[in-house]
Amino acid sequence: MNGVPAQQTSSAGHRTNSGAGRVLVAVYGIFALAATARASVQLITRFEEAPFAYLLSAVAGLIYIVATITLARGTRASRRLALIAIIIELVGVVTVGTLSVVDPEAFPRATVWSVYGIGYGFVPLLLPILGLAWLWHTRPQAP
Amino acid sequence: MIDALAYTVVALAGAGVIWGIVTAIANKPPGKAQLLYAAGLEAATVVQSIIAAAKIIGGFRPVELATTIGYLIGIVILIPIAWLWANVERNRFSGIVLAVAALAVLAMTLRLLVLWTPAG
Repeated sequence: MNGVPAQQTSSAGHRTNSGAGRVLVAVYGIFALAATARASVQLITRFEEAPFAYLLSAVAGLIYIVATITLARGTRASRRLALIAIIIELVGVVTVGTLSVVDPEAFPRATVWSVYGIGYGFVPLLLPILGLAWLWHTRPQAP
Repeated sequence: MIDALAYTVVALAGAGVIWGIVTAIANKPPGKAQLLYAAGLEAATVVQSIIAAAKIIGGFRPVELATTIGYLIGIVILIPIAWLWANVERNRFSGIVLAVAALAVLAMTLRLLVLWTPAG
């Protein structure tokens, strides 16, 4: 009843969608929903106000969707896609976060990554770090 | 939105978060009572969204109408998905998955209370 079943702790490494990975997928899923919904509303209702910020929101949403699905699948191929998505996510949140602090004029409208995700309790900054740590923790072991 | 109902949802969700963490610490998968509780939280959330939708149809206009509608729809799909996801692999992490969804419901309800301001 407790812990991870024995067959999933083989030398092939853990699957990304097992154990604590299920919580990571759940959090990614919520951010996929939040960022995509937010971007959709922004793009549909007031695209002309801040096209760059809103397109960025859409990109962020897309990255969260890719990360959610690839981590949830947990195959070797999906791990690679997850790694790419999460690296882009980390670069995105650090870049946008820094820019929005240094040059607030560049981001007049809030995105999920503004000020390192302050509107979401800084989880957007924490999430890619946890994601990379999880991919490392579950990396395939040499036989 | 009805303030009393919203705060009830917040309280129910808060208890759901704690319950999820408690079963995880106890290293147990969520039991039947906990899953029923999550269903109860979902029911309260659905009722809240239906009442709010009725008020919008009835003519109420919050400042950010599209965002509010997005929240009212988004908030009701969290618990069902988390429920399914938590039940595929049942262990201590199932409780955390339910807790994460309950926390999102809590945060979204608080945000809805702020959004629920009539347009000037």
